[in-house]
Amino acid sequence: MTATRLSSYLAGSCVLAFLMLPVLVVIPASFTSSSFVRVPPIAYSTRWYSAFIADPEWIQALFTSISVAVFTTVVATVIGTLAAIGLEQSSPKLRALALGLIISPLVVPVIMISVALYYVMRPFGLHGTQTGLVLAHTLLALPFVVINVGLSLRTVDPNCRRAAAALGADPWYSFRTVTLPLIAPGLAGAAAFAFVTSFDEVVLSIFLSGVQSKTLPVKIWEAMRIEFTPVTAVASALLLVLTFIMFATVEVMRDHANRAGDQ
Amino acid sequence: MATREYYFTSMTCGVEYATRFEILSKDNLKEIMPSAPLAGSRDRRVDRFWGSVLLLLPLAAFLLMVFVVPLAMLLKLSFGGAGGPFSAYSEIASSEVYRKVFLNTFTLAITVASCTVLLSYPTAYMLSQLSGWKRSVAFWCLFFPLWISVLVRTFSWIVILEKSGPVNRALLGMGLTSSPLSLLFNSFGVHVGMVHVLLPYALLPIFTSMKAVDRRLLLASDSLGASPLTTFGRIYFPLTLPGLSTGFVLVFLMALGFYITPAMLGAAQHMTISMLIDNFVNERLAWPLAAAASFSLLFVIVALVASANRLVNFVSAMAAR
Repeated sequence: MTATRLSSYLAGSCVLAFLMLPVLVVIPASFTSSSFVRVPPIAYSTRWYSAFIADPEWIQALFTSISVAVFTTVVATVIGTLAAIGLEQSSPKLRALALGLIISPLVVPVIMISVALYYVMRPFGLHGTQTGLVLAHTLLALPFVVINVGLSLRTVDPNCRRAAAALGADPWYSFRTVTLPLIAPGLAGAAAFAFVTSFDEVVLSIFLSGVQSKTLPVKIWEAMRIEFTPVTAVASALLLVLTFIMFATVEVMRDHANRAGDQ
Repeated sequence: MATREYYFTSMTCGVEYATRFEILSKDNLKEIMPSAPLAGSRDRRVDRFWGSVLLLLPLAAFLLMVFVVPLAMLLKLSFGGAGGPFSAYSEIASSEVYRKVFLNTFTLAITVASCTVLLSYPTAYMLSQLSGWKRSVAFWCLFFPLWISVLVRTFSWIVILEKSGPVNRALLGMGLTSSPLSLLFNSFGVHVGMVHVLLPYALLPIFTSMKAVDRRLLLASDSLGASPLTTFGRIYFPLTLPGLSTGFVLVFLMALGFYITPAMLGAAQHMTISMLIDNFVNERLAWPLAAAASFSLLFVIVALVASANRLVNFVSAMAAR
């Protein structure tokens, strides 16, 4: 049994390293001083970061990405939270039906949704606009928001709401002062997930972005196909670091909430 | 149930997994959402019904506008070929080239799913044995890459696997090869990239089934004189097989629709269905063909999801025999 355990630990550690390490490669690659991407770089410099900042196209793409992600987060969190509360109160039959519909954008291949939206948005002039991107990204972010907020709602003790009602609070007041603070960590996690879903999204964005609304991933995608300069590594590293900040925030916040709950 | 709860509540990324996992096991749908906690009078129940409909309305309107209607219009488009309603479908079905693309996509999805399951099994076993901070670190390694854009990960693999990349330099340095190997823009590159993205989806169902195994069964088998290999083959493996097949089906389905990784890391002559759809839309402007190819793919996926439950049950029934 120990031999089995030892070999599984060895294989498992290799697999985890295989998952984790390659992701980090873009960081050293972005600090190269030469004009081609090489890991590890022969000499380090920040010249490609300066090149990134000096290029208005990259900066424009970064700001487009952030603005699309922020709007997606707001729209998806609001619609998704309302729906999660609605699902909590609805009958099992309606719940199963609604949940099936909410999850279905994850079953349909993204390329297919991209083609369909591209086809529908062109006559409306939504293609190539930030609004179009926000609508498309919201579609992918919604299932995660609904499920995540639904899970938080489930941890709320119904007695808290009953107590609020017994003390004379109307439903809206008890939602604001009892439920909302209790589901806040789940809500924040859902929002962070929506932000990252939009910020990292490639396929929909490739189809739906025009000259005026290129997101950072679209710009990286184009740069990777045309020329392979270290500026692409800088952009990828920025994407990685921003995503890591979101991930770490969610983890730390959840840890904090768990500790507060234990006391 | 307790372990499922563990990532439901403690890992945001687990939600993506959970969401996709729930698709395969419809029975679990009820468990994600709480049932109505307050039972009231008939009037209040009616109020609650309309209240919940009102709360679900924005989402329903959104899905209708951005999901249902666009797909319906695409479906209509797929029957709008120049030579009659089914001309686009029959063109795809009759063409040797397109048949090859479909076959190629299925082979790729099957080999990728097999690789992920093979790599996941021992890793899931390790995770099921870990506890405390080691387990937290291991789950971090599993979940963090899920947050990172597929594009960034693809970029990383190009840097790592290129002719003058670290892998080739190491192989040359150790004298294992005399000239750099071509690891990119072929099926090796695609497999590495796709296994890297899809592995966590196979690992989690396997991990769940391993956590559910009753340790006493293994002890009983051991004390009755079975060799470790027999215990594994007759007890442990059949008990974890449902998780294994769920992971396999999940990865297979997701691999069928993959676009970025095959397009960047694969060879141009090894087209997948997604690349073909992109080609129809952006190069050849053949919209009915793109629509027909999309719905052919969706049809396969829906059929597989519908039969997945039965399939998984079937496999575990076979194993139990």
